[in-house]
Formats: sequence, C-alpha cells, structure tokens
Amino acid sequence: MKSIFSFSALAMILALFSAIPANAHHGWAWTTGENIELTGVITGTNLGNPHGEITIKVAETEWTAEVGQPWRNERAGLKKGDLAEGVEVTLIGEPSADSSEKLMKVERLKIGDKNYVLYPDRD
Amino acid sequence: MSEILSLVEASALAQYLKTARWGYAAVNGLHVFGIAMLVGSILPLNLRLLGLWPSVDHKALAKVLVPVAAAGLALAILTGLCLISVRASEYAALTVVIVKLSLVAIGTIAAITFHVRTGFLLDGAAPGQRRLHAILSLTCWLGALTCGRLIAFMM
Repeated sequence: MKSIFSFSALAMILALFSAIPANAHHGWAWTTGENIELTGVITGTNLGNPHGEITIKVAETEWTAEVGQPWRNERAGLKKGDLAEGVEVTLIGEPSADSSEKLMKVERLKIGDKNYVLYPDRD
Repeated sequence: MSEILSLVEASALAQYLKTARWGYAAVNGLHVFGIAMLVGSILPLNLRLLGLWPSVDHKALAKVLVPVAAAGLALAILTGLCLISVRASEYAALTVVIVKLSLVAIGTIAAITFHVRTGFLLDGAAPGQRRLHAILSLTCWLGALTCGRLIAFMM
C-alpha cells in the first residue's frame, strides 16, 4: 500500500513537468533541417558553459540564436568580444521546427567579411 | 540574494568552469557518477526496507550501501555546487532547481536524522518507521534526479 503511495508521489512529480519544452541545446532533432540566413545587430549575449546564446534584432523581430560552447567558438576563430552587443552579424543555421519560436542554431556566421564556421561538417 | 549569486558567478572557480572544455566536462561527469552511486545504492536499500527480498539481511545491505550512498551524495553536492556557480542567478530563477535543492535538503536531513536515531545499520528502527523513511527517501532522491535532468530541458 505504501509503495503504491510512493510511486504515485513520483508520478505526481513527473506530471508536474509533463509539458517539457524541446531541448534546444542538444543536437539538431528540433530544427527544420534547412538553413536560413539572418542579418541583424546583437542585442544580448550569454556565452560560456554549458551553452552559448545570443539575441539579435532582425528588422523588428528579436531572434535567439544558439552559438557554440567556448571551445567551439574559439575553434571557429572567434575572439573574446567578437560576439558583443551592437555588433552586426549574419547567422547561417537551422531554425526551430516550431516557427512560433524565433530560435535558431548557428552553423556558421559572418562578422564584416570574416567567416566563422562553428560546425565544419555541416552544410 | 542576487548579489550573493553574482559574487558566486564572479569567483575564480566559476570563471574557470565557464570557459573550460574538459574541466567542465570532468565536473559534469563526476556529478553524474555521484548521482549513480547515490541512487544506485539508495534504491535497493529502500526497496529492502519496504519489504522486498525479505531473506536478505538488511543490516548487511546497509553496511555496504549506506557508505556508498553517502560518498555519492557528497560528490554530487560538491560537483553540483561547482556546476551551479557557473550560472548561479539563471539556475536560481528556475523552479526545477529550487524543487531539486529542496528535495536534496529534505533527503539529506531525513537520512542523517534517521541514522542518528536508529543507528548506522538501522537496527533500532521499527518496521513501520523503516517503510516510512524508505518512501520519503525514494521520493526525495528520485524526485531530485528527475528535477536535475529536467534542468537541461528548461534553460
């Protein structure tokens, strides 16, 4: 009887979080599979482990873009301060399959005429 | 509170872990190892306290599993604090994190109290008391594990 109680307690904890949003950081299962290109000005950055993220303003729309962890950004040639507020960037990558989310995962990006490739194995 | 969290994020350890590739991976891996030790030992112990495997001496089981669980908990707490330090204010704003930390606190206090009252091998505990503790313990640790995993899906 009591074990039934304990399992129902666990089920309740799980049910509390049943509406789990997609895990946007890992892999590409949540993206469309097709690349898009966005150009805009960086309005915010949140870089560093475990995941790097920037927001950019494209026309009047604010997009959130997943960039790499520090090692991936560094490997691509990005230096500290390259991804900073006010910088104009062009992002190439895949958007979220849920088009109501203005969210993309960056494969490569351009600042000025410089190219930075975060995922060399992807198109 | 927010000032304390900012101070934590500015600490040398947090700054190191924020950019370190393998250092961060190592702390992350050790956190999982700590959880594996804790949950891997607490589950059979609690199921025994709930009445499963009646032929197995619960004292012998406790002698092996309690120290492993305690070491796992210590490792998980230590590495967990390191992981939280990297983005302390972001994590503190998440409900799952608050629920998880509360469950860890309740589970830890309950375990210490139970062992202090009934002895290391739990021989002083009445069967009903054991079952009650087992239910509380399972709820706390499996709940904490679930909340912990969910953090990655909330950020």
